[in-house]
Amino acid sequence: MSTRSTRRSSWRTVFAPIALAATAVLTLAGCSGGLAGGGDAASEDGPIKLGMAAPFSGSESAFGPYMQNGAQLAIDEINAAGGVLGRQLELVTADDACDATSATAAANKLVTDGIVASVGGYCSGATLPTLPIFEAANIPMVIPAANSNELVKAGLNNVFLINGTGTQQAEAAIKYAAKEGLTNIALLDDNTDYAKDLANSVASQAADGGVTVVLQDSVNAGESDYAAAVNKIVSSGAQLLYWTGYYQEGGLIVSQLKAAGYTGQIMVGDGSVDAKFAEIAGPAADGVLGTFTQTPDMLEGAETWISDYTEKFGAAPGPYSTQSYDAVRVVAEAITNAGTTDGEAVITALEGLKDFPIFSGSLTFSPEHTLTEGGFAIVTVGPDGTFVLKDDLKS
Amino acid sequence: MLQLVIDGLFVGSFYALVALGYSMVYGIIKLLNFAHGDIYMVGAFTGLVVFSTVSGLAGGGILSILLVMLIAMIFTGLLGVGIERIAYRPLRKSPRLAVLITAVGMSFILEYGVRQIFGPNPQVYGARLEGATLSFLDARITLPQIVLMVVAAALMVVLNLYIMRSRDGRAMRAIALDPQGAQLMGVNVDKVISRTFFIGSALAGAAGVMAGAYYGSIDFLMGFVIGLKAFTAAVIGGIGNLYGAMLGGIVLGLLEAFGTHWLGGQWRDVFSFACLILFLSFRPTGILGARVVERM
Repeated sequence: MSTRSTRRSSWRTVFAPIALAATAVLTLAGCSGGLAGGGDAASEDGPIKLGMAAPFSGSESAFGPYMQNGAQLAIDEINAAGGVLGRQLELVTADDACDATSATAAANKLVTDGIVASVGGYCSGATLPTLPIFEAANIPMVIPAANSNELVKAGLNNVFLINGTGTQQAEAAIKYAAKEGLTNIALLDDNTDYAKDLANSVASQAADGGVTVVLQDSVNAGESDYAAAVNKIVSSGAQLLYWTGYYQEGGLIVSQLKAAGYTGQIMVGDGSVDAKFAEIAGPAADGVLGTFTQTPDMLEGAETWISDYTEKFGAAPGPYSTQSYDAVRVVAEAITNAGTTDGEAVITALEGLKDFPIFSGSLTFSPEHTLTEGGFAIVTVGPDGTFVLKDDLKS
Repeated sequence: MLQLVIDGLFVGSFYALVALGYSMVYGIIKLLNFAHGDIYMVGAFTGLVVFSTVSGLAGGGILSILLVMLIAMIFTGLLGVGIERIAYRPLRKSPRLAVLITAVGMSFILEYGVRQIFGPNPQVYGARLEGATLSFLDARITLPQIVLMVVAAALMVVLNLYIMRSRDGRAMRAIALDPQGAQLMGVNVDKVISRTFFIGSALAGAAGVMAGAYYGSIDFLMGFVIGLKAFTAAVIGGIGNLYGAMLGGIVLGLLEAFGTHWLGGQWRDVFSFACLILFLSFRPTGILGARVVERM
């Protein structure tokens, strides 16, 4: 720095480093995409590696360990029964921090680690940029949790969803609202891919389902005061508010809604269905509904699974542990059927799966590689703050 | 309309409390203390720890929250003094860019240090401010909101008296005007700077406890956005000017309330930072800031 710079206005001194940092981040993000496809083909001996990119840090970091545990449980069971193609399975995890840049790096790391298939993906916004990376490396993905329609719209051959999509979740919400005679609904999302997609799905299907969307609005995640959105909802006269974002903001919004005198019903999407939701919302969580794929504690005959899990990890299974467990089993089944770990063959085998039993029902992939059976149910906040089954929407 | 004003004033009073610390530090040593928002976060977490260790406090209502706030203020105040002593004082003669980067580093240390201790998940606050909702003229305001605004206003009044009436306050103003001159007149500059950091950080800590008790959930990244907002508030009001920080906080709160009402919630940050850029372009000294005379 020359002496001239000291005479510059202080503002420039302030913003120069910020601009520099931003440039550096952008450059890095751009570069990491170029690494795609650099991974070597899976080796023919040693363990078969399955990769999982999931959030282990950041705002959604609660879910990463649940998913890891679920997948590990399936792997241990399969290994104890002799493995796949006579080889053991091994889980490789990477942290995507629910953030596109970290997810790209995580996917590249998994590819260079030589994984055969991906069984990860929680945040849709972080999973989307990883799709082309895995595709270029010819790695099939069985995504357990992320369920934005955008994942399907990309039309990539290697992508399979074993969680219901936003469209299916929206159907469940509308079906319940119509069933209960709640015709005026308000939609609120947190501007993430997943939440926006779900809200838009509801908006586009509402008319067919016989409900009217009286208000659709977004808030920014990571804030604490949502007075503006709350006021709009209260004055919109909606009989049902459907919050499609994650639980942290969801809890705050619900408690602020109740404080503002909102008397209608409140429903939340599966990103908010978590015990933390009720903890954050406090007493306002009473009677809040949710749309959710069924968890083991809601399923009949899952007691052994729950006790296995609890014994192994010392805690009750959390959200998406079943889906991750299923993702590993689905991939293992496909590799067994294919008789090889070659990506193309495994993808063909996945497409050929028929009535494979998973937690949410029996699995046969649709031509879009999504579930043919949605499996979404309506849950509600129970007495101890966890969500319990209210209506399985089967009737 | 009135509802928007109330919402704006309420959020604005948080911004103002945090912006005061920003502005005081900038006024005295010309440092943009980017770690300031994270002190707010540490304040919230200090409150959480006090509530969970001293069990009798959680149910005690407003008085216990005030007591916890006091403890958190002392802790964050001392933390601010410590940060200044370790991270900023050795660099006081360095180029301003070096100190700025140190401040950003300090901010990361606080954020990820807290994350190491408490984990990445949002924490639920031990005590919650609950109260009746009052309505007048079609607008609603809750009792906790009134209490928190009164507390914020009281803190600001006390601060103002301290700066304007006390000997220390006079020393602060003297250093802000001319550090070397003040030193020549026998002002202990180091001591006064420490004191400034103590007060600014204590106010941020108080705001942190208030936010925790009102909203009910805190996380280790909560200081980031409010740090930027407080910076924006300080700039709008006129950075380095105390009345400016208070006014800037309120103005920013109102701008946000009206902006989100007209444009939708997702535009809230775009709107407030656009205001920041407009101010920087057309009136970098803010609403109340005096024209800075360039000293050669």
